[in-house]
Amino acid sequence: MIEKITDPEKLRHWGGKIELYWVYTSGKAGDLFFKKLKADGKFLAAKCKKCCWIYFPPRIYCPKDFSETEYLEVSGEGRVRAFTVARLDPYEKELKKPEIYALIDIDGTNGSIIHLLGEVNAEEVSIGMRVKPVLKPKEQMLGDLTDILYFKPI
Amino acid sequence: MVAIVGVGFCGFNSTTPDLSWKEIVYEAAIKAYSDAGINPRRDVDSFVTCEEDFWEGVAISDEFVPDQLGAVVKPTCTVCSDFLYGLATAYMQIKSGLAEIVVLEAHSKASDLKTLGNAIRHAMDPIWLRPISRAHPYYLAALEMQIYMCERGLCEEDVARVVVKNKNNALLNPSAPYAANVKLEDVMRSPKVFDPLKKMEIAQTSDGAVILVVASDEVARKLTDTPIWIKGIGWWTETNSYDTASFSALYAYKAAKMAYKMAGIANPVKEVDFAEVDDRFAFKELQHIEALQFANKFEVARLLRDGYFDRDGVIPVNVSGGSLGVGNLLECTGGQKTLEVILQLRGEAGKRQIDAEVGVAQVWRYLPTFSGAVAVLGV
Repeated sequence: MIEKITDPEKLRHWGGKIELYWVYTSGKAGDLFFKKLKADGKFLAAKCKKCCWIYFPPRIYCPKDFSETEYLEVSGEGRVRAFTVARLDPYEKELKKPEIYALIDIDGTNGSIIHLLGEVNAEEVSIGMRVKPVLKPKEQMLGDLTDILYFKPI
Repeated sequence: MVAIVGVGFCGFNSTTPDLSWKEIVYEAAIKAYSDAGINPRRDVDSFVTCEEDFWEGVAISDEFVPDQLGAVVKPTCTVCSDFLYGLATAYMQIKSGLAEIVVLEAHSKASDLKTLGNAIRHAMDPIWLRPISRAHPYYLAALEMQIYMCERGLCEEDVARVVVKNKNNALLNPSAPYAANVKLEDVMRSPKVFDPLKKMEIAQTSDGAVILVVASDEVARKLTDTPIWIKGIGWWTETNSYDTASFSALYAYKAAKMAYKMAGIANPVKEVDFAEVDDRFAFKELQHIEALQFANKFEVARLLRDGYFDRDGVIPVNVSGGSLGVGNLLECTGGQKTLEVILQLRGEAGKRQIDAEVGVAQVWRYLPTFSGAVAVLGV
């Protein structure tokens, strides 16, 4: 047998697809975070009662020393630690409009968040650039991460 | 000590339309048992397999394992992780006295998976990361790459050279579907699909299987004159959170520390002859070389440029062509790296044979993780 079949779809096969749905609960810290964001447009972080490390996003436990945390309010503004211009979608097809993703260190915390950058051209983004979150209109908020539309330069 | 007494593999290919994943495993299994001179139905005490349901497209995929391995009606367990974690499990089963001969299996039929990007998205934190991730998850690697390049003062060429080395190394490996005679300017011209990450710096997926027969000291000496000893093994996880991660392959450094300690290795540069490291994104190879302590953190790029990690260098890295040459084998990635170390130590690596007595295999748990494992093998 020298010649090989190279297209799997020419063989007897079954095109499989399974639709699965979940409800992901955001937990105590997540629930409080998104409720506060929707109600007041304010951001919550969490400080470890033992080592004083300030987590953003907040959690009810400190992963470093496994002790409790307490909430505190932060501005939600921060600095870009890293960024990339993404040109492909999950199917490796070209995105209609490239998206800028950034890892943003949040002011007043030891934490950071990965989110989109908006109202800025890729060429204008730099490491260390100060950015602030842009929120959805209150009535459209869903209580999840998409309530922050993107971060934009200050 | 615990030894590897048999090895078999099938692949590696960009697609395998003529064989189902079970048949790929069967082909590799026959070779491994023939190599070890054993009958799986009679001689094997335990089977360890490594897989992940999302890669397989079936749930409880461990239930599909026994038939093609000769493992029905036998003790079988699945490690939901890379091959190297399975090697640690096999090692422990033998050291504990539970088994004398263990078979270890991992495979990839990545070509069956039409939505790799979405499978990786399902590994992202569903509250704090996934909802805003519309692009291919490769963007996460690009962010880490930029942080690493800034912290180490690397230029684009420093990363691109990894692709040049590995794809050219792969030319001597008949089982490397992504081998290519590429030059630095070819890589530099590759489109920045996730700036600064270039298309050619991302390992494409491939299919295949790797199977080992692992045995206790006593049994190994009876079965073969050329056992490959597992001198050290380690694994480590940092965190799954992008807000607390170090972005410096701490997982690989710590896993290596664990494996080196067990192997009694104090000075890796002097005591390790070569390594197969995870290079599924080109910059990861630089991170991992540093983590394995083959170079100081600000020296890696210069040494790579000077040929220190070439096939004829001081510490050859990814002589097989690495994942950039052989392909991303999902949970079998550590299997391909271990396979290469075994073939080199046995003197069975053909045209790419190097002279070596101690080799290291290292793997990362891929996106979006900060986990990995390291094994030290020797003759």
